[in-house]
Amino acid sequence: MLKRSDTSASQASLRPFAIYKRELDERASVVSVEGELDLSTAPRLKWMLLDSLESEGAQVVADLSLVDFMDSTALGVLVGVQRKLAADARLAIVCTSEKVLQIFEFSGIDSAFAIFPTLEDALAHVRSQTAQAD
Amino acid sequence: MPRHEGQRPHPARSRLVALAAFCALSPMCTSIASARPIRTADHGVQGHGGGGSGQGAGTHESHGGNSGGGQGRWGGSSGQDGGSGQDGSGQGGSAQESHGGDSGRGNSGGGNSGASSGEGSYGHSGGGGDGHGKEGKGSGHDQGQEGGGVGDQGQGRAQGGEGGDRGQSSGGEPAGAPGESSRGRGHGDYGRGRNGQGSGEGSGQTGNGNGIPRARGRQSGSKTSSAGVSHTASNSAPRAAAALAVVAPPAPAATNGAAAVPAVTATPPAAPPAAPSAPSAHVPAGTSSHPQPASRARRARRHKGRSVGSHTAATTALPSVLVAAPLAAGAPTGAGSGTRQDASRDARHTGQASTPPPIVQTITKIVGVIPLAVWIAGGALLAIALALAAGSRLLAKRARRLERQRGELLADVGLLQGALMPAPPAGPGPVSASVAYRPADGPAAGGDFYDVFALEDGSLATIVGDVSGHGREALPHTALVRFTLRAYLEAGLSPREALRTAGAVLERQLDGALVSAVLATYQPRERTLVYACAGHPPPIVLGTRTLAPMGACSSPPLGTGLPTGTRQTVLALPGAAQVCFHTDGVTDARVGQDLYGSQRLAAALASLGPAASAPALLDRVAEQTDARPDDMAACLLSLQGGPAQPATLVQELELWGDETARERAERFLLACGLDLSASAALAGKACAQAERVGSVLIEARPAGPGVGAPSARIRRDEEPDIHASDTRRLATVGGAR
Repeated sequence: MLKRSDTSASQASLRPFAIYKRELDERASVVSVEGELDLSTAPRLKWMLLDSLESEGAQVVADLSLVDFMDSTALGVLVGVQRKLAADARLAIVCTSEKVLQIFEFSGIDSAFAIFPTLEDALAHVRSQTAQAD
Repeated sequence: MPRHEGQRPHPARSRLVALAAFCALSPMCTSIASARPIRTADHGVQGHGGGGSGQGAGTHESHGGNSGGGQGRWGGSSGQDGGSGQDGSGQGGSAQESHGGDSGRGNSGGGNSGASSGEGSYGHSGGGGDGHGKEGKGSGHDQGQEGGGVGDQGQGRAQGGEGGDRGQSSGGEPAGAPGESSRGRGHGDYGRGRNGQGSGEGSGQTGNGNGIPRARGRQSGSKTSSAGVSHTASNSAPRAAAALAVVAPPAPAATNGAAAVPAVTATPPAAPPAAPSAPSAHVPAGTSSHPQPASRARRARRHKGRSVGSHTAATTALPSVLVAAPLAAGAPTGAGSGTRQDASRDARHTGQASTPPPIVQTITKIVGVIPLAVWIAGGALLAIALALAAGSRLLAKRARRLERQRGELLADVGLLQGALMPAPPAGPGPVSASVAYRPADGPAAGGDFYDVFALEDGSLATIVGDVSGHGREALPHTALVRFTLRAYLEAGLSPREALRTAGAVLERQLDGALVSAVLATYQPRERTLVYACAGHPPPIVLGTRTLAPMGACSSPPLGTGLPTGTRQTVLALPGAAQVCFHTDGVTDARVGQDLYGSQRLAAALASLGPAASAPALLDRVAEQTDARPDDMAACLLSLQGGPAQPATLVQELELWGDETARERAERFLLACGLDLSASAALAGKACAQAERVGSVLIEARPAGPGVGAPSARIRRDEEPDIHASDTRRLATVGGAR
């Protein structure tokens, strides 16, 4: 009964959860997440993003390219952070996983975020927007 | 009663008397006991007992002249231990009486009573000359028992006491009580356990002794005996040992040392002699044949009753006593002279006054021996036990209270849960609905909600949703959203309109919480299903036509601040079909490391067949998954088949005149199967119109069986909704933004 696609699609979801931040400069930072974002791990993403966005004119990129799964809790975290964004702060998301992109799409919140397939594109986005804001 | 006195004036008798007297006295009255001081220490109680008996004996003697108080001793002996001394005496007394005749009476041993009971026996004398003792018998109670000896004398002889045999048993050695005849002899007997006691006594005439042995008996017995001996012998003997000695001077030594056993041994030999001569009793003292006494003693036992009374016998008895009585050592010397009833009385009194019941004494002794440390430890343990008991009681009470409160809480939660998850409308019809809810394995329970209810126009409305966040935090939002959505559906809004309106209205109240939901209405007459999702998985539709979910341009959840309620699907289903609404807890359940997924869910639903129900479906899901981290809720609509109707599928998208409108419209149209150019053309047109009037609705008919090529158009406002029923909906809540 199980379809092959289900089985094959799930092969990659064995990555342990990890989250870390790289500060590129005073304002720009990249928060990278690996594994699954769910009820238990989403709060860590929330605090990491909020911490990164505290500085004035923060330029933050959430790199979700290594995320295997997001549940509604993680979507809520992203939405909440996006809504609390200061006027001069910028947030971009990097996502290359088709599964995660589908999650964004079906949840209907993909239009709320600036989602890019590469880190470079995302960084260019946040820096350009910040520059414009300045 | 005839007195022996007249008959038998023998010195022996007098001796006996003396013995008896001293026996009686010795314990009690030191003074009387001429010689010795009483060993109170040892005997203590016993002494008293002895005294009692002694008295009895004494009496006789006094009366009788001779008869001895052998008995007295016995009694005494028994008395000691037991403290029962008194009893002993009593018996003694009786014994004597019986004697009345001449013989001494035996005393029965009064001893017995001593402690336990003894009873004595009594010998009684024979008639004239002899008394014979009756015997005592002892009943021993406690201790051994004693036997009462009895002796009768026939005259001369005393009877022997009999020994308390039993006593022995306890003691190990019994003493034989031999009757003694005249002089006393005692016999003693029994000792119960402790010392033996035997007592012998002789009495002038008869002797009888019985010994009662009790444990206590022993000492006294011994003493007495000794006393007796001494008298007989001449008084000198005061030692415990003496008792034996009394009978036979030599004995003394033996006695002292002797343990119960020895005593026994001694007795045997003596016995024979004792038996024989009643008269001898008197003599006996003098004779003091050691051996004899022993033998008598035996006999005494055997016969129990009678012993004869030779002194010797008495002596023998003594040994046993001695044995029993090592304690007795101190024995009183009795003065034979001393014997008086008075004395005995005193003895009794004393005994009574001073001696508490044996049991009390025993307990007192035991208690007295307990070290202070043990007392302290015991106290500490008691305190701990009390503390623990109190603590456990408190805990039990608290546990009961908590259990009760928990029950109340669960009942409350059950009511709330019931309010949020009502049973679907029952009743046969073209459509049947079933609902199911399964809490998460972990602490994340709560947040899911559903509702199934009939609308005024005959449609069946379904709501399934999920509030992000869980538990009690989610409950208020859950109720708010569910009833708000229901109200809009009841008011006649389409699912999309209801979501759009609710999104705008609830934005502030949700305070950041996100709520995903799917709303649906099913119109049985037209067999049209209309549903709209807001950040929620679309329903799984199984029928003659499988509907592939379309994610393009999905509406966001309620509470995001983004406009929602922008998408809607209208589906006309020919034939039977099953529509399964569910929350993401179902598809997010895990199979190993994988998500359960919508495809597995569809397969599970198909495997259940036409009779599938929501509970059965969730059970199946539970069987197929390893972990269910979120709540699972499902609502299953089973639509009956009917005359074939054209299958209809319409995807609606409401476009707002914003900057993303064109891009979204193109994606939507492309997803519906239109080609690129058609999509771009229609998208451009729709955007222009949306900017002008605020919003437009795009209807797309994807390609499918019987549909032909995909098509799309912009619906004008005046056109009724495709899903609208004949009855005009009531409200136009939340107009276009």
